[in-house]
This record gives sequence, C-alpha cells and structure tokens, in this order.
Amino acid sequence: MSNYLDLSINEIHELLVKGKIKPIDLVEESFKKIDNNKLNAFITLDLEGARKRAIELGEMEVPQDNLLFGLPIAIKDNIMVDGLRCTCASHMLENFISIYDASVIELIKNAGMIIIGKTNMDEFAMGSTSETSYFKAPINPWNKDKVPGGSSGGSAVSVAAGYTPFALGSDTGGSIRQPASFNGIVGMKPTYGRVSRFGLVAFASSLDQIGPMTRTVYENALLLNLISKKDLKDMTSFETDEDFTRLIGKDIKDMKIAIPNYFVSDVVEKEVLEVFENVVDTLKKAGCKVELVDVKHIDKAPILYQIIAMGEASSNLARFDGIRYGLSLKEDTLEDLYKKTRSEGFGREVKRRIMVGSFILSGENAKIYYNKALEIRDDLKKSFDKIFSSYDLVIGPTSSRPAYDVGLNNDDPLRSFMDDILVMHANMGGFPAISVPMGMITELPIGMQIMGKGMDEAKIYQLAAYIEKELGGKHE
Amino acid sequence: MSDYKKTIGIEVHVELKTKEKLFSPSLNLYGNLANSNCNIIDLGYPGVLPVLNYEAVALAIRAATVLNCKIRKKQHFDRKNYFYPDNPKNFQITEERTPIGYDGYVEIDDDGEKKKIEILEMHIEEDTCKSIHSKERTLLDFNRAGVPLVEIVTKPCIHTSREATLYLEKLRELLLYANVSDCKIEEGSMRCDANISISKNDELGTKVEVKNIGSITNVGLAIDYEAKRQEELLSQGETLREETRRYDAKADKTILMRVKETGNDYRYFPEPDIPYVILTDEEIKKVQSEIPVLAHVRRKRYLDSGISLLNANKLIANKELSDYLEKVDTNLKTASNLLLGDISAYLNKKNMSIFDSKLTYDKFKDLVLKLDDGVISNKNFKDIVSDIMERDIDIDSLLKEKGIENVVDNDVVLKLINKVLTDNPKVVTDYLEGNERSLKFLMGQVMKESRGSVNPKLANDLLIKTLDERK
Repeated sequence: MSNYLDLSINEIHELLVKGKIKPIDLVEESFKKIDNNKLNAFITLDLEGARKRAIELGEMEVPQDNLLFGLPIAIKDNIMVDGLRCTCASHMLENFISIYDASVIELIKNAGMIIIGKTNMDEFAMGSTSETSYFKAPINPWNKDKVPGGSSGGSAVSVAAGYTPFALGSDTGGSIRQPASFNGIVGMKPTYGRVSRFGLVAFASSLDQIGPMTRTVYENALLLNLISKKDLKDMTSFETDEDFTRLIGKDIKDMKIAIPNYFVSDVVEKEVLEVFENVVDTLKKAGCKVELVDVKHIDKAPILYQIIAMGEASSNLARFDGIRYGLSLKEDTLEDLYKKTRSEGFGREVKRRIMVGSFILSGENAKIYYNKALEIRDDLKKSFDKIFSSYDLVIGPTSSRPAYDVGLNNDDPLRSFMDDILVMHANMGGFPAISVPMGMITELPIGMQIMGKGMDEAKIYQLAAYIEKELGGKHE
Repeated sequence: MSDYKKTIGIEVHVELKTKEKLFSPSLNLYGNLANSNCNIIDLGYPGVLPVLNYEAVALAIRAATVLNCKIRKKQHFDRKNYFYPDNPKNFQITEERTPIGYDGYVEIDDDGEKKKIEILEMHIEEDTCKSIHSKERTLLDFNRAGVPLVEIVTKPCIHTSREATLYLEKLRELLLYANVSDCKIEEGSMRCDANISISKNDELGTKVEVKNIGSITNVGLAIDYEAKRQEELLSQGETLREETRRYDAKADKTILMRVKETGNDYRYFPEPDIPYVILTDEEIKKVQSEIPVLAHVRRKRYLDSGISLLNANKLIANKELSDYLEKVDTNLKTASNLLLGDISAYLNKKNMSIFDSKLTYDKFKDLVLKLDDGVISNKNFKDIVSDIMERDIDIDSLLKEKGIENVVDNDVVLKLINKVLTDNPKVVTDYLEGNERSLKFLMGQVMKESRGSVNPKLANDLLIKTLDERK
C-alpha cells in the first residue's frame, strides 16, 4: 500500500504538481487505511462521490498556489454536505440526507479538496468522549482501550490514524481541542465569527464554532485560511482576509505569555503539570516572558457552560419534532407524536441536556440562572481582555488528564464537563484557542492550549509552531 | 345602562409589505401556490441561520413613526419557545424585551370629540405557517412562514366598541398610507385580537381574549357580545376565567377556544444568531423622510376642493382610487364623483383594480374635462363606461363610434331652440318680463327635444342669446 498520506503537505503537493500521483491515489489510500483499521472514525463514507470527484480533479491542472488541491478531508457529521447523510450521531437523523452544503463545505469543494466522509461524534456534539454517539463509538488509535475524546472524536481519529491529513470539527466547549489533545494532533477553535456557522447543526449558537483539525500547525493555518470568510448567511460572521501562516517560524523572543494560576492548580493531574513545566522552561529559554496570573471568574466557566449551552441547546433541538424531516413516529395525537419521536430519537445525554436547558429558561429561572450567567460571562470575557492588554497569549494544558478508559464517564455526566474546565473560556469569550501536542504521558499524547485575544490566530500559530518544533509534533 | 365599565386592549398583527421574508430571501407574496415561496430557512432545516431583512426594520420604523411611538435605537431579538406544527423551528423570533416602538398613540375623532388611544408597544416578529385543517389531517403552507409582522399593542384604555372600531379604522388608514402594509383583513395581512374585561370599579376585571376577528365591524360586535356575556355570568354569581375565544360572525357570538393556563411559559431568551440592531438618528430620519403623504393631507385637499366629507372619506378608505387620483391633475370634485360613482360600480362588479383597467390618466383627464364642459352628459357616461374601462380607445373616437357625439353645430341647435320658443310663447313672455325660472324650463325643453344629444353648455348660451335678442 502507498503511504503518500504520511508525507508533508508540501511533498504531496509537489508530487501532484509533477503528475507523479493523482488525487485518486490519495483517495484510494485513504479508503484502504480506513478499511484496514476498525476505529469507527466515520459514520458515513462517500466512496462513490469521493472517487468521482478525485477523477474529475485529476483531469485538471494542479494549481501551483493551492496546497490543498486534491487532498482528502473528513467532515464532522454535524456539518451539512449536499447529498450525504448528516446524522449528528443521532437516531433522530439516522436517515437524514442533507439537501444543501454548509458555507464551509462550499469553500472546501471550490478549493478542490475531496470529502471522504462524515465523522463520528458525540450525539449532537454533546459529550467529551464520543461515546454518546448513537453509532458504535470511535476508538483512540494510540490505545484501543482509551476514548478518543469528543465531541469531534471521529475527526481527531481520522487525522491521528492517518486516514485523512485534514478534518473539520466543531467546538462549543472544547470539542475540537480536547480530542486533539487526546489524539496528539493540532486542533483550532477560531475566533467566534471567523468561520461561518451556516450549515453547522446548532448546539449552542453563541458558543459554536467550526475549526480545522490537522497533523501540523502549518497545515492547520492553511485550512483556516481556506474556511475563514465572511458569510452573508451568518450574521455573526465577520470580514476576514489574512494569511494565518504569516508568523510561523518568526522568533518568539520577548513574547509575553500568561499562565492563569487556575490552569496549573490541583484541578490538573500531576503528570500533566510535569509535562507542562517542560513547556514553560522551553519558552523561558527562548526568551519569552512567562508569568502566572489570576483571572477573575475563571473557575466559573463550567457552570456558565452548563447554563448557557444547555439553555440554547434546548431551543435549538426543538426543531426535531417528527413533522418535517428526520425520525417521525406517527401517533394518534400531535402530543404523542412529539413525545414518542423525541423520546426515542434522542439519546440519554441529549435528553438530559434538553431537560436541564428547558428548566433553566423556565419562568423565573431565566432571570436567576440564564440572565445571571450572561452577566458573569461578560465579566469573564472582560477579565481575559484585561490579561490580553498586558500579555500576547495565555497558555495552559488543554486537558486535565490524557485519554482515559472507555466507559469511565458513563455514570457521571458531570465528570465529562470536568474534562473541559481548561478550554471553555475561549468559547465564553469568543477567543481563538488551539491545542498542540506538548508531550507524552505513558504512551498517550497530551496537548497544550494557547489562547489569544479575538482575531489573534496568527500569533497563536506562531507560538504553536515553535512548541511543535521544539517538543516534537508528528511532522517537521 | 349597565353598571359595568368595559375595558378593552387591542393587539393587531400587521404583515409588512417587504419584498422578501424577515429572515430569508424567500419572496413575501400572498396567494401563490402553497409552499412555492419557501426555502430551507423557512422550513427550519437543521444548520440554517436567520439573516435579518433591513427592509422590514425600515417599514417598522415607518409604522412606529405614524403611530407616534418612540423608537428604540438598540434592539435585540428573542426566541419565544413553544411547540406547534405551524412554528417550524418550534421557536418564533420576536422582540420580547426590546420592542422597536413604544409609548405611542393614535388619535381618533368620535364625532368631533378627539381621543388618544395609547400604544403600549410595537414589535417586529416572524409569522407562522398557515395551517389548513381538514377532517382527517392538517396541511401546512410555509409561504407565510417567516413573513415579517409588526404587532401593535394598545394599553387597556379603550372603553367602548365604537372607540375600538374608530381606532382600528384609523390604524389601518395610517399604516396603509405609510405604505407599511396592505392591511387586508380578509387576506390575513391585518389580524385583530381584543382583550375584554368588565368591572364596576377601577380595578380591572378578568380578561378574555377574542382572537382573529374577521373585520373591523366584527371587532365592535364581538366586544359588545363579549361584554354582555361576561355581565350575564357575573350577574348569575359566576366567576370568570381567563380564556381565549373566537367570534362567530354568523351567530354573532363568541365561542370558547381554550382556557388560559396560568404562567404560560415561553422560555424567552435573546436570539444568539442575530446581533444587536443599532439604529442611528440619521438612519431613522432617512426612513422617516421617505414616508409617503399621509391620509389626512389628502383628506384636507379633497375638502378644500369642494368634495363632501362623506365622499372624501370614501376616497381615503379606497386607497387605490385615492392613489389614482393623485396622478391626475384635474378638477377633483368632478373626478371624485366619477371615481366613486360609475367607475367604482364597474370595478366592484368586475372585482378589478383601476390600475388594471384601460382608463389611462390622459383618458380620465379628458373625461373630466368633457363632463365639465358639457361635451358629454352623465347619462352618456353611463352608456360608455364599460367601453372606456375595457378598450384602448380615446374618448373622441369612442363618442363618434357610439354616435353619441353631441351636437355642436350652431344652426342645428338654433333650429331646435326656435321650435321650442314657438311652441311655448307663454313661457317666453314670462321670461321676457323678468321671470328667470322660465329659462330653466325652456332649457329642459331644448334638451328633451334633442333627446339629450346637444351640448348643454352650448345650448344654454344660444338660448339666452336668442331670448335676449327678443327683448
């Protein structure tokens, strides 16, 4: 079997330009690898469509300046691809076929990338292990007894296992960065509004953001270049036109870096802190100014997340009612149709969150919980803005522990939220944040998070690329 | 006279006359094939997002302006969550907490007595689907889903059914002339709900809502019926409950739809997909400067040109005719008689718009001129109205074709006059002795003799001249 997909993107591109390989070779290799391993990374594979597109692209001249041309990509199954099933890993949408492309998918297709299939995930992106999937849960390629993280678990596995060099995930409270950490890959949650959400099945609209998941920092920045664009179909998207790779390789000397005390407190496992210490030493040696800081309300993020995300989710998921599309279990009365369809269509975790969210928005609770949470969220954002007025970037471990045993979280829904206590702040404040591998703990990768102020992705990539170079990411 | 005092608050939903829907590029049209004007956004597909149509915001500013409302410069939309098949996303996007207009009023004139009906607030929201219920099932038409609405809510400051109908007539007139909406109750582009309670003191009684009343007149009837029903129940010692009823016009009574559950919980929260709408003074002023001439300006001009109050109001109520009249520089009084008389009768019979007829502005102007000059008579006009409305033919050619060309030949008219004078020597003598009334009789005889075919103005002039020669 060929191993072109293990090469760097520049190498693959050169082979394509020289005509030594064709897009179809990459697609076939991708499918072969997926077939060879049984990691349940995909819910739907588009064998026919991907091959057809690869052959079409093979007849075109390879554009010299488009490094992404002809390359396979995996798409999280909550992003609409015209003609493909979009299940959100739910029984509710098990047979739902999308009739339109998400705005990011239009960009992906126009650039000549080839969509291999739709990746496994937690049901409606609710979870942090991908185990709430209605389908067979994906498996961590580093250790088959460990979870791949979530909710974008399938996308992370696809990249980590070498199925596809690129994947799209979505991140509402860490769903790109935490699985990136667990799988030893690079995952970016861009600034809120950087990437259009049109065609992303909404979980919590004010927090959701689509982002790139890749093997390397450079490739990550390239994919973000492609998918970030103001979209007239998404009022929260903004004007964006910059090259996110532009600072990669630039000296990081004199960079001012803050570490919130909370990120290195006892909420994080000792082994993780040890690996992170090494990062801090490396940065200090490189001439960065690294300081510990206190951030007001930083420990409130999980509570805010529970309230805001679940409140919004309870409303966003109301449209799945069995009337226009998706699962529909016909009953004699309208109320029974609603009840039966939603009882059977949604899994436990989704129903739990809808119920909590509905409760939080009910009557007086809206004032007590939801409105209060919005206020504190605003304060939290301001505390970070204050940090960013004196520091370039904020860093910390991405997750409090490396990938853990399958089934560990099953009986404790709160435990899965604790996975994301270090990453939710970026969603609350709309800040960009990346997870980049920083080392290994007993043969499992662990990532570090770099967060910047709004619109500062390029600077994040600059530091991430340095960490990658010094502490050994997968590629050069 | 009843001891009870009625208190009424009115909620009106008005569809805004935008090109596209409130949050999607689907066309906002009435009367098209079911489900032909809808897309994935209107259907509430997974993954779709709303994009606010600023034309709707501009029309809402117009509405707020003519209703004398204050305009809120920073607004956000909210989600109103409830499950119903006509509500595609199972939430409706509305402005619960920051209505665009507030603290306004509409002034009504109750036989010379002026009263301000206070507007509590006016907000923008999206319409639901239209449900068509048949025996076995319910069909949904998504053409209406997402059509922009404003909901206008009065304070409970209305106390008689007459005030209520005057308010609604005035409201309709204001919105119609500001070009905000068609305000067609029969097509659902204006929908009225009335909240009615009765009480013997200043404390408000239990409120009953009568929904979707089919005409302004019926709002008055529904209020009177409902107040009477409530009074009868109270006099029998019963307590009223908060409920929603509908008005059955045929039976002239209100019918229970549902009892209101306490604390109906819509789980409102701010719509995260739509950023704040921020309006500047300049933007508001620009929109306000584009509001067309309002009805009261037209009404004043009509009255000044000698049109009766009755006819002036008739013209205002029929905006199409009034708009038509705006385009023609002519004698308004004659023109209004024509429009409200035979032309209206014709249009009503054919259920047709004057703008779809062959009555061009030039043709109409010519008609008015010829009537004023006596070239054609009212009787002539009745005979040719359908030809005028239906055919591409100018008035002169039509008159010739119909052979009702009025006699304008002096000699022919003189011959007729001389015959009449010869036949009526007594009357001629009376006239010559100073009895002016005799002239009218003689003129009538001339017209009769000619079977109405002479130009009356010409005949009158010649008659006086001939008589004066005999003096």
